[in-house]
Amino acid sequence: MLFVRHSDFVIKYFTSIIMLLTFKRVLKFGWQGFYRSKALTAQVVFILFVLVFTTTFLFLFNEFSNFLISQTQEKVDISVYFKQNVEEAKVLEIKNELEGIVDKVKKVDYVSREEAQNIFILKHQNDPTYLEALEQVSDNPFFSSLNISAFSPDHYKYIADFFEVAPLVDLVEKVSYNRNKLVIERLFAVISNIKKAGLGLTIFFALLASLITFNTIKLSIFSLKREITTRKLVGADNWFIRGPFLAQAVLYVLTSLIVFDVLFISLVLFLNSQLRPLLLDFDLLNSLVIQKGIILGLMQLGFALAVALISSWFAVRKYLKI
Amino acid sequence: MLSFKNITKVFQCKGREVRALNEVSFEVKEGEFVSFVGKSGAGKTTLAKILIAEYRPTSGRVVFQGEDIHSLHPADLQKLRRKIGVVYQDYKLLCDKTVQENLEYILQILGASDESIETDVLKVLGIVGLEEKLDMFPLELSGGEQQRLAIARALIHRPELIIADEPTGNLDPYNTYEVVNLLTKIHQMGTTVLLFTHNKEIINSLKKRVLTLEEGKIIRDDPKGKFLL
Repeated sequence: MLFVRHSDFVIKYFTSIIMLLTFKRVLKFGWQGFYRSKALTAQVVFILFVLVFTTTFLFLFNEFSNFLISQTQEKVDISVYFKQNVEEAKVLEIKNELEGIVDKVKKVDYVSREEAQNIFILKHQNDPTYLEALEQVSDNPFFSSLNISAFSPDHYKYIADFFEVAPLVDLVEKVSYNRNKLVIERLFAVISNIKKAGLGLTIFFALLASLITFNTIKLSIFSLKREITTRKLVGADNWFIRGPFLAQAVLYVLTSLIVFDVLFISLVLFLNSQLRPLLLDFDLLNSLVIQKGIILGLMQLGFALAVALISSWFAVRKYLKI
Repeated sequence: MLSFKNITKVFQCKGREVRALNEVSFEVKEGEFVSFVGKSGAGKTTLAKILIAEYRPTSGRVVFQGEDIHSLHPADLQKLRRKIGVVYQDYKLLCDKTVQENLEYILQILGASDESIETDVLKVLGIVGLEEKLDMFPLELSGGEQQRLAIARALIHRPELIIADEPTGNLDPYNTYEVVNLLTKIHQMGTTVLLFTHNKEIINSLKKRVLTLEEGKIIRDDPKGKFLL
């Protein structure tokens, strides 16, 4: 019994040693293939560079459109103006009530009649016509108001409807949403379409880049078709033949990624300040490199690795059927 | 050790049937040296390729050491191929590997240690006279040197069976003699050798068993070793 257990252990030990040895050799062959076929390596690395570029561009496009959307959403709000006889306490009570709708209302700012007047004066301090006109009016002509931001564009209608029912409807002078309803709805329709188009473009370009990469790797392996069948005929296992090509694919991906990211980060560092005004204050360095650098890197690596490994796997498989 | 049982191989060529082998049957005992002779197109290479399962026969069975090689599981077929050393007519050397690496590869498949691989490779390179060229790539070698490398690769793992398909096809008389000498030595060490050739001089000098192929059929099995075509 003890002897059986001992021999089992010895078999397992030697099997794992052979597996390690095989793995080391597979990596070595992968490296040899990578550095010996320099022209082929350059070609595949270039195509993978384009794939990584496409991935990065799509990531950038997504980030930039999200940035635009959030910027636009922040600028859209509903202003509710109250009749002059409505007391401040009542408006603040309504404000509290609105803030209670936590799933829809993001922020509510109260602007009193005095603040509204001060804002007007400040805005037109260099325009005597407006100031003189204001002086002509004995009483404060401004309304107190609530500026309401919602979490989603869909919630603005709900908020507008909130003021349409009694007793609130009698306290409200006007709601800006009703006046800007069409503009707001169109704006959000445009944003929604940009998002959809962006997703469509993402899928299209990702597919295109993947197909080009797949064909390049397939052609590079096709040039070694004879070597692959020979390896099979001399008794090599499928893993011993396929492994080096997969290792080579990983090396291609890492090289293209390093080359691309060094260039990309250098360009971003160098051009960020010049590009920022052109991109409506979008900070490339902060958004892509500092905040989301790891996510972007993982995305580049994951996508390029997936395409390269799948391509190599299928391209080699074809010649292993012998 | 090896038996061919009613092997027929039909190729489809532009909608036409080409019968490369027709009901071929023979047996080879362990330690034998058998030459297969015949004109070009007689079916010698098809026979050799069926033997290593590069081709599947249309009908019939090939039994090697008690196993039908064409009904083996792919993993078992690879194990069987490791027991055979093949010298191909077109060498089939790995052009992306050096002379040394071409030989190392065979032993690496078998999971041999780096130390034993180094020793064996140098020994075999010495036998075929390529010890000075170990860092060269196959395409940098002459035809004769490539042929010798192919032979070295076929024998480095001490296979039980060596198949040599036209191993002297591209060689001058001197190198032809060297290669035949080498195969004879390997045979004397106990290895079964199957030689496929159309070289009359070689066959007559060997004086071993000769199977003569004509139009895909074995027309003669001569134990005295004469090329009678």
